[in-house]
Amino acid sequence: MLIFTFRRLNLFIFTMLLLTLLSFSLSFLFPGDAIINISGAINATPSQLIEIQNAYKTDSNIFWQYIAYLSHIANGDLGLSMASQSKISTEVLNLLPATIELSLVALFIAMFIGIPLGFIAAIKHNKTADNVILSISMLGYSIPVFWLGLLAILTFSISLGWFPSAGQISLLFEIELVTGIQFIDILISDSPYKWQAFADASAHVILPASVIAVAPATIFIRLARTSMIEVLETSYIRAASAKGLTFQQIIFRHAIRNALIKIIRHVGLQFANLVTIAMVTEVIFSWPGIGRWLIESIYQRDYTAIQSGLLVLSCFIFVVHILTDFIYAALNPLARGNKYGS
Amino acid sequence: MNLLDIRNLSIELINGDKNILAVDKVSLSMKEGEVRGLVGESGSGKSLLAQAIVGVLDDKWHVHADRFHWRGIDLLRLSIEERKALISRDIAMIFQEPMACLDPTTTIGEQIAEAIDTDSLSGFFWQKQKQRHSGAIKLLHKVGIKNHSACLSSYPHQLTEAICQRVMIAIALARRPILLIADEPTAAMENTNQGQIFRLLASLNQLKNMSILLISHDLENITHWTNTITVMYSGQFVEAGTTTQIFNKPLHPYTRALVDSSPSANFHLPAKSRLMTLPGSIPILQHLPIGCRLGPRCPRAQQACVKAPSVTNFHGHKVSCHFPLIPIKTPRKATNQKTVKGVC
Repeated sequence: MLIFTFRRLNLFIFTMLLLTLLSFSLSFLFPGDAIINISGAINATPSQLIEIQNAYKTDSNIFWQYIAYLSHIANGDLGLSMASQSKISTEVLNLLPATIELSLVALFIAMFIGIPLGFIAAIKHNKTADNVILSISMLGYSIPVFWLGLLAILTFSISLGWFPSAGQISLLFEIELVTGIQFIDILISDSPYKWQAFADASAHVILPASVIAVAPATIFIRLARTSMIEVLETSYIRAASAKGLTFQQIIFRHAIRNALIKIIRHVGLQFANLVTIAMVTEVIFSWPGIGRWLIESIYQRDYTAIQSGLLVLSCFIFVVHILTDFIYAALNPLARGNKYGS
Repeated sequence: MNLLDIRNLSIELINGDKNILAVDKVSLSMKEGEVRGLVGESGSGKSLLAQAIVGVLDDKWHVHADRFHWRGIDLLRLSIEERKALISRDIAMIFQEPMACLDPTTTIGEQIAEAIDTDSLSGFFWQKQKQRHSGAIKLLHKVGIKNHSACLSSYPHQLTEAICQRVMIAIALARRPILLIADEPTAAMENTNQGQIFRLLASLNQLKNMSILLISHDLENITHWTNTITVMYSGQFVEAGTTTQIFNKPLHPYTRALVDSSPSANFHLPAKSRLMTLPGSIPILQHLPIGCRLGPRCPRAQQACVKAPSVTNFHGHKVSCHFPLIPIKTPRKATNQKTVKGVC
């Protein structure tokens, strides 16, 4: 297990190096001066510019420039936003937790709805329940997210008035930012209206998270279905039924764990897809997350923000990916001792 | 009284509009404390028959039988749940490829413990848990695994095939079965391990009077361990009798060919000459011959063989052939008296 952890950390470091290489090269590929792209200092005076050039070592060769860039990132300096001239690192720190919250809630909704439905479809293979679930998943997968988001606002916020249509929490509640993740902040705050705030925040997150969850949930349904069908045909399931276990015991003790192993790695892969959907949804629901900020900076041609935003988002996706790998290893004893390749 | 009495069991593969009769009217009976071998080439339906007895075939297969008695109880009259409860209590099965038959994500200890019957435990659930654990250790000792703590905490992929098969036998013993069905228990195993597994099964048979149905494709290998043998070919019953009857005086041309094809029966052959074999190979399920399915390969086949022969009994030695090898004139009416005479 120690070796497994070490290998994952190793993979993380090298992937991050490659990502920084990409974002570093972006500053040369974007139009304009590379040094201004990388630092975001558009209004700098000539003397300030010289200072920045020294900091990024533009007079030495490209390798030392890259090292200088790395050291800036390591110190948490991602440059200034070209649009607002504020520090990107503080903006990202304010915005990223909201996105993490939204995408994780969406991921859990997708998993808790998609995977059990897929299992039910597999158990009722080739029966009505299976066909109904498959048709629903096909339907859910083919609906475009921006249309679904608008439709959800129209139905649930405007006509029915069940959920708020925009934002993260009602402005009436004053919640102090500590961790950035709203739910944790609410729970640790000493406001007398803590639970009202919690209910309000939950009502705000349900609609966008459900809209995001639709497409991944349908993929999970299909993954869960195929892997469960595969597992139910293996010899150890047949041996377990010959052992005298009831069908429920077989499903809960043997089939589900083995089917989950096959799904869990795909969850990590699907997360990248989910974050993309979340970015679009953030715009629709005015969610104060990094996705909306990134799309806005694309409109404003804020190259520094694009560069750093990509870096931060991909880092986040990669961390989730590694976490799912750990869950995979915890579920699958075969993966723990795997020393070569993966 | 027979322990197990099956008459005319057929297994059909439901395949769109055309059904395939994979096992065609096979009869099988077993006495208490008997070790019966079930022999046939791969694809002769012997594993299917075993799985049909235990009831673990999936929906694709349709099983039909004229009689299915277990210790005098007519299983066909019971509901599916009652039948399953009765069979899982009294009949256990071990499969070929033991490693694939153990759940790869669960420890051996849990897998043995969950096989122990809940009715045999007493007390509250934490006491039961303890009893299950000690029961699992006892079972491992029974199958000759001494280092029980290491074995209980390991996963199937950490053990060898032979140990896994011992674990499978331990799981099968957990419910104290009266009949153990062993479906090629030593396939893909080394010779020493094969011997160990067979010796273990033989000792279980002698010490606990457990009946064993030993399924194998290797006639010669299992003759050391069995009292009686049933031979199958392509889903049809061929011959059944005691091991000595089958091995020394086979009545069916197919059994004759099986016995002759083994190297020990061919000691007199000069070096580098071919072994005795039947021409051709076992028919595939989609193109089964009508009547006696051995027909196209049989050296003694005649026109009558396009109809399936009925079973003739020669003093407990049953054979299903129109032209058996040693025609004995039985006092009772033989089914095909005319053709039997023709052979004489």
